[in-house]
Amino acid sequence: MIENAPCGYISLLPDGRIGHVNRTFLGWSGHATGQMVGKRLSDFLTIAGRIYYETHIAPLLRKQAAFEEVAIDAVKADGQPLPLIANVAERRDRDGKPLSIRLALIKATDRRRYEQELLGARELAKAAEKAAEEKLQREQEASELREQFIAVLGHDLRNPLASISAGARLLDRTVQSEKERQIIAMMQTTVTRMAGLIDNVLDLARGRLRGGIGLDRDANQLLEPALGGVVDELRLASPGRVIETEFQLDRPVNCDPARLAQMLSNLVGNALMHGNSSKPVIVHANTREGRFELWVSNSGQPIPAVAMGRLFEPFFRGNAHASRQGLGLGLYISSQIAKAHGGRLTVSSTSEETRFTFEMPLA
Amino acid sequence: MPGIAERNNVHVRGTGETAMMFAHGFGCDQNMWRFVAPAFEEQFRTVLFDHVGAGGSDPRAYDKNKYSSLAGYADDVVEIGRELDLTDAVFVGHSVSSMIGVLAAERAPGMFGKLVLVGPSPRYIDDEGYRGGFTPEQIEELLQFLDSNHMGWSTQMAPVIMGNPDRPELGQELTNSFCRTDPEIAKAFARVTFTSDNRSDLTRLAVPALVLQCSDDIIAGKEVGDFVSRTIPDCRMIVLNATGHCPNLSAPEEVISAMRTFV
Repeated sequence: MIENAPCGYISLLPDGRIGHVNRTFLGWSGHATGQMVGKRLSDFLTIAGRIYYETHIAPLLRKQAAFEEVAIDAVKADGQPLPLIANVAERRDRDGKPLSIRLALIKATDRRRYEQELLGARELAKAAEKAAEEKLQREQEASELREQFIAVLGHDLRNPLASISAGARLLDRTVQSEKERQIIAMMQTTVTRMAGLIDNVLDLARGRLRGGIGLDRDANQLLEPALGGVVDELRLASPGRVIETEFQLDRPVNCDPARLAQMLSNLVGNALMHGNSSKPVIVHANTREGRFELWVSNSGQPIPAVAMGRLFEPFFRGNAHASRQGLGLGLYISSQIAKAHGGRLTVSSTSEETRFTFEMPLA
Repeated sequence: MPGIAERNNVHVRGTGETAMMFAHGFGCDQNMWRFVAPAFEEQFRTVLFDHVGAGGSDPRAYDKNKYSSLAGYADDVVEIGRELDLTDAVFVGHSVSSMIGVLAAERAPGMFGKLVLVGPSPRYIDDEGYRGGFTPEQIEELLQFLDSNHMGWSTQMAPVIMGNPDRPELGQELTNSFCRTDPEIAKAFARVTFTSDNRSDLTRLAVPALVLQCSDDIIAGKEVGDFVSRTIPDCRMIVLNATGHCPNLSAPEEVISAMRTFV
C-alpha cells in the first residue's frame, strides 16, 4: 500500500542512512532503489537542503520526536531540484534512542513557485514603496527650498523698492511741472502695486512653510477705518474710476484688520482690473446676525465657467490683460486669509455682475 | 536597554568552582546542550545563553552592524563572561560558536582557560590550498535559498506536539525558541556564519583546545577538523563515532566522555 501511495515515503536507520524508499518517491526523483538505500538522506538534498537538514531538522527531531510541514529541497537524478513538504517522525526505544526516522513527502513544486512569486511581489512592492518615499522626500525638499528662496527673494526686493519710493517722494517736493508730477504719481502707484505683489509672494511662502497664514487678531476691532483706508488708497491710484462703498458696521469683528485690508485690496484691485471701466466697483460690508460679510462687485464680462473652479488656486491667472497680470496669488492669499479667520471666500459671476463675498463669524 | 542576562537569556546552574560556558551554533539555541550540560553541573558552574536573535534572547538588542561579523557575537560572550566574573573557565562552542569562542578568548585573556570546539570550521568556502567543503557558488545558493525561502522559515518550523504525551514541555519549549527566531535575523546569521574566514585567528589561540569531530559531518568535514587541530598551537582532536553535525544532541554520552578526558 505504501509503495504506490500518493505521497513519497522514506525511512532512515538510526544512523541516519536510508533504509527504504517507496516507488512513488523513486518515480518523482528518477533515482533507483539501489542508488538510495544505504546512503544518507543529505546526499539527495540540495546544498541548502543539506545544511538546513543538519542545522535544523536533525536537531529538532532529537528534541521532539516529530513535526509536520517542513520544507526541504531534494535533487532529482537529472540534477533538477525537487521541492518537497515533509512530515517527519522519529521512532524511539524505551530509553529514547532513535529506532528509525520516517518521512512522508508531498511534492511542493507549484506551492514553492507560488511562494516565490509572492515573495517576489513583496520585494517589488517594498522597492516601489521605497522609491515612492524617496521621490516624495526629494520633492518635499525641493519644494521647501523653492519656498525658502521665494521668501528670501521677496524680502530682498522690498528694500530697493522702498528706496525708489523714498526717492520719488523727495522728487515730488521739488518738481515744477504738472507732467513731472504725473510721472512721479505713476511711479508711486507702480511701487504700491509691486509692494502688494511682494506681500502676496511672501505670504505664499510663509503660509506653505509654516502651514497657513498667521493672524494678529483683535476681538474689538471696528473695521470701517481700515476698510475705508484701503478704498481711499485705491481711489487715489485709479483716478477716473468709481468705487462706491456701503458700510453697515455697527459691531466689532474678531479679526486681523491688516489681513482683511489686504484681502479687500486684492479684491478691489481685481475688480478694477477685470471690470467694465465705465461702471462702478461696489464695496459692501455689514455685521448682521452674528456674521461679518464683505463683498466686492463689478460689472463686465463674466468669468468663464472653466476658470471658476480654479480661481483660488495659487498661480492661477485668467487670460485677460496679459500685460497687467499679477502672479495669480491675490485670490489664493485672500482665500487663505478667509480660512485663517474661520470664514470663507466665494464667487458668483453672471453677465450682470461678478461678486466676491467673504463671510465669517463675528466672534 | 536590557541587562546582559536578559539580552542573552543567560542561565547559570551547577555548583563547581570553575565555570563552563556553552555556546550554541546556527539554527539552534541553548537547548542544543540540554543532554550535555547537566552532566557537568556537579563539577562546574554551567553557563548557558542564546545568541542575540536566537531562542529566548531579546530581539530588540539585535543590531545589524554589530552582528554583521562574528566579532559582535564574540563581544557578547566576553560581556557575559565579565558579568559573571569568569576566569580560567571552559568554553564549549558548537559549530560557528567554536570560532566565536576563539575570538572571545583572544579578546579577554584569562577569561577562558580551555576551549572545546564541537564541529568547528574556520572557513566554509574552499580556498587555495584549503578545503572548507563548499564552493562560493554553493554558499551563495544556500544564502539565496534562505533569502528566497524566508516565508518558509517563519512557518515551516511550526512544531506539532506529537509522540511525547508524557513530556508536553518539549513542544512548548520549541515553540518558544526556534519558532521565535526572526527570519531576517536567521538569514543574517547564516550569512555571517558561512562567509567568515577565521583561519588566522586559530594561530593566535593561547589556550589549549579540544576538537570534537563527527565521523560524517557534511557541514564541517574531517579535513576541516584536521586543519583546525593542526593550526591551533595547543590542540587535540577526538573523532567521534557520531554522525551528522550535532553530536551534542545525537550522541551526548560520547560527547560527555570525550570532554571529560580534557577538562
